[in-house]
Amino acid sequence: MSPLTNFDGKMILVCCGTGCQANGSMDIYHAFQEQLADNKAVEVKTYTKSTGCNGWCEKGPLVKIMPDDITYIQVSTKDVPEIIEKTIINHKLVERLLYRDPVTKKRYKSHHDIDFYKKQHKVALRNIGEIDPASIDDYIAVGGYANLDKLLNQMTPDQVVEEVLASGLRGRGGGGFPTGMKWKACAAVDRYPKYVICNGDEGDPGAFMDRSIMEGDPHSVIEGMITCAYAIGASAGYIYVRDEYGLAIKNLTKAINDARARGYLGKNILGSNLSFDIEIVRGGGAFVCGEETALIASIEGNIGEPRDKYVFPTEKGLWGQPTVINNVETWANIPVIIAEGAEKFAYLGTEGSKGTKVFSLVGKVVNTGLVEVPMGTTLREIIYGIGGGIQGGRKFKAVQTGGPSGGCIPESLLDLQVDFDTLTKAGSMMGSGGLIVMDDRTCMVEVARYYLNFLAGESCGKCYPCREGIKRLLEITTRICEGKGQVEDLDLLKDISETLVSASLCALGKTAANPVMSTLKYFRNEYLAHIVDHKCPAGVCQNLTEFYIDAELCKGCTLCAKNCPVDAIKGEKKKAHAIEQEKCIKCGQCIDNCKFQAVKVR
Amino acid sequence: MKIKIDGIEIEVTSGETILEAAKKSGINIPTLCYSPAFGGKGHCRMCMVEVKNGNATRLVASCTYPISSEIEVKTSTPAIEKIRRNIVMLIAKRAEGSELMQEMAKEYGCTDNALQGDPNERCILCRLCCYACEEMGTSAISAIMRGIEKRIATPYDEPSAACIGCGACAEICPTGAIEMLEEGGKRTIWNKTFELVTCEKCGKPFATREQLNYVKQKSGIEMTGRLCESCRKREVAGKMSQSIVELN
Repeated sequence: MSPLTNFDGKMILVCCGTGCQANGSMDIYHAFQEQLADNKAVEVKTYTKSTGCNGWCEKGPLVKIMPDDITYIQVSTKDVPEIIEKTIINHKLVERLLYRDPVTKKRYKSHHDIDFYKKQHKVALRNIGEIDPASIDDYIAVGGYANLDKLLNQMTPDQVVEEVLASGLRGRGGGGFPTGMKWKACAAVDRYPKYVICNGDEGDPGAFMDRSIMEGDPHSVIEGMITCAYAIGASAGYIYVRDEYGLAIKNLTKAINDARARGYLGKNILGSNLSFDIEIVRGGGAFVCGEETALIASIEGNIGEPRDKYVFPTEKGLWGQPTVINNVETWANIPVIIAEGAEKFAYLGTEGSKGTKVFSLVGKVVNTGLVEVPMGTTLREIIYGIGGGIQGGRKFKAVQTGGPSGGCIPESLLDLQVDFDTLTKAGSMMGSGGLIVMDDRTCMVEVARYYLNFLAGESCGKCYPCREGIKRLLEITTRICEGKGQVEDLDLLKDISETLVSASLCALGKTAANPVMSTLKYFRNEYLAHIVDHKCPAGVCQNLTEFYIDAELCKGCTLCAKNCPVDAIKGEKKKAHAIEQEKCIKCGQCIDNCKFQAVKVR
Repeated sequence: MKIKIDGIEIEVTSGETILEAAKKSGINIPTLCYSPAFGGKGHCRMCMVEVKNGNATRLVASCTYPISSEIEVKTSTPAIEKIRRNIVMLIAKRAEGSELMQEMAKEYGCTDNALQGDPNERCILCRLCCYACEEMGTSAISAIMRGIEKRIATPYDEPSAACIGCGACAEICPTGAIEMLEEGGKRTIWNKTFELVTCEKCGKPFATREQLNYVKQKSGIEMTGRLCESCRKREVAGKMSQSIVELN
C-alpha cells in the first residue's frame, strides 16, 4: 500500500492539471482548504492536496477522497460544502457527483472500476494524480529517489546501461530508438564534459502527455536524468520546455531546487563521485525544436534548425560534446526500470516495443484525455474500450496517429496492435503518442491540407525538399478542397511526397508527407470524389457541399432550424424540414445537431 | 583509407566529406548551395548519393556525410536522379525569375505542371549570401522566418547598421537575386545607401567608405592612397618591375 493511503483521517486530492485548472480546480482546492480549516464538525484529520493531471479531462475537475477511494467528477466550488458535509463528516457519498455509465446508468464510486481507468496500465503516469507534484516528500513517499543510493554506490555505470538496454525501452518522443543503445554509445565516448537533455518541446496539436508528466511528476524526470548522468558520466543536464507550459516550468523549477536541497542534485550526490545538476531552458515554441539537433542548436543560442545526423548527438551533441537526449516520457520510465528491474518492465509490450505508451486521446471520442496502455493494445481497445467510442453515436472514419506528420489509419485497421513498428508499417507513426479520432464528418483531403498548413509554418525552412515540397503539397490539396483539382494532381502529390521522404534533412521533412500519403492510400476515393464528381462526401469543403434533409427520416424536431445561423431551414413542427439552398452557407450546424441522421450531403 | 565512388577507388582521409573526396578526384556531384569557401551545409539536397556501408545502403547528402569507413558510393541512380529532377522542378517553380533555374529545369527534363510559379522571384535560398556576410564578420543578413515563409533579410527588413555595403552577398549569389544599385556615386543595397569612394588614379567609384573603414579596422593597416583594384594591381606590378630593373 502506498504511504499516501496509509494515514489517519481523510485526504482530498484535487486534480490541478491544466485542463482541470481551466475549469476552476484551483478554486476548489482553496475552498476545501478554507472550509476544512474552520470546520469544527470535522472530527478527522484532513489533508488537501493539489495533484497533477488524472487524464480524464473530459470529466474534470476531478476530486478524489482517500482512503475511501471515491472519485467525484465535474466538481465545482459550489459542491465543496456538500462534499465536506456528506463525505468528510458523515462518510456518505454525494451520488450525483459520481460517474454514471451512459449505457447501464450505473454509478461508480471509484474511478478504478470505470473502463476508462480499468483498462489502462500506468507506468510513466504512475504517480500523476496520486501525489502533490510540488512536494518532494510525496515523491519520496511513493518510493521516489529510493534506489538512487543503490544505483550510485552498488551498481557500475555499465550495469545501469545494461539494465536499460535489457528493458527494451525505446524513445517515447517518436523516433523509437532504443534508449539503452543511445546511452551505451554515449558512455563509450571518452570525451568530457558530457550532457544529458530532456526533450520537453512537445508540439503536436492536441498532445499533452509530456506536459502532464512535467506538471504532475517532475521528480521522476529528474531521477531518470540523474540515472543517465551516472551511466554516461555527464556533469550537466538541461530540460528544454516550451515557454507556454507555465505550470510545467513552475513545478520543474521547484522540483530541481528541492532535489538540490536534499542532495539529489549538485556536487557529490549522496556522497558519491557523481556531480550533476540540471538547468531549465525555455523554448520559444517552434515545433521543429522537438527535433533533437534543432533543440540542441536552440539551447546553444542559435536558430532552431536541424543538422544532418550522420554523426549522432551521442558523439557530437550540445556544444559538440557527447550528449544523450531523451523525451520526457522516456525519462519517467527510467526510475521504474531501475527499481523493478528490466525483466519486469519488458514483461509488458510486444516483441519489438516494450512497456507502455501514453496516448493523448482526442477528437471525436467520448472520453478525451490521457491514457496509458501496454504496447500492442489494439486501436479498437483504446478508442472504444477506453475512449468509449465515437461522440454522438456517429460513424468512425479514421484515427490520426503520431502528430502532424503522422498518418490517418482507416477502420479496416482498427485491430492493429499499436507499437512503433506496426504503425510505421501502416504508413503512420507512433510519434509522441497523439491519437486524434475522426468521424464521418471529417473530410480526409481537408485533414491532409490542415496538417500541411501546420507544417508549412513549422518546418524550419532549411532544406529544399521539405520547405518547397510542403508548400506545393499544400497548394495542391488546397486546390482540391476548393474544387479546382485535376486527376494529374494525385500523381504530382505522390511524386513530391516521395522526394520529401527520401531527400529531406530531418525527421520532420521525412515524415511531413505522411498525412498526404496515408490519406491517398486509404481514402483515394475521397480525393477522386472532390476532383471528378466535385463533391465532398463528408460535407466539409464548402465549394463542393450541398446539404439536404431526407424527408422520411426528419421528425420535425426543429433543432436544425433553431441552430441555422442564416435562417435557411424552414418547416413546421413534427413535419419534414427543408433547406433553402441559395441561403445555405454550408456551415454544417444542421448535420452536426440532427439526432435522426436526417441531414444528408450531396 | 580507400573508398569507391562510381567504381573508382579514391584515397581519402577520415572525416572528409564524400563531396570533397569526389571533387578532388574530378567526379562531379551537382550542388546548388555548396561553396568550397564555407563547406557543406546540407540545404539543397541536390548532392544526395547512395552509400553502401557493409550490407546497408542508404541515401545521404554527400556535402555533410563525413567518411569514416570504406564505403562504396554511387553518385547517380534512378532514385537519385528523380530526387534531383524534383528539387530542380520545385526550385525552378519557386524562382521562376531565375534564368539559371529555368535552364536547369530544361537540363533535368522537368515537365511542366499546374503549380503556381513566381516570375519575380530569383532567390533559391542557398544562403551563400549569408555565409559570405558571416565570413566577412559583418553578419548583416540572415535567413529569417520559418517554413515556407523563410527568406533572406536584414533584421526587420530595416537598413542594417552592420552592413558595410561590400556587396559580397550580391557577388556570390548564383541567381542574381540581390539587387545592388550603383548610380551617381552611390550604392544601394539591402535598403541602405552608401557613398562610393572614387579611385585617386582613374576616378572610378570602387568601394564604400564603410567598407574601407571596416578593412582598416580589421587589418589595422592604414591604406595609402585610395586605389581601385585594377589601379592597385597596376601600381604593384609597376613597383615590382622597377625593383627588378634596380636589382639588375
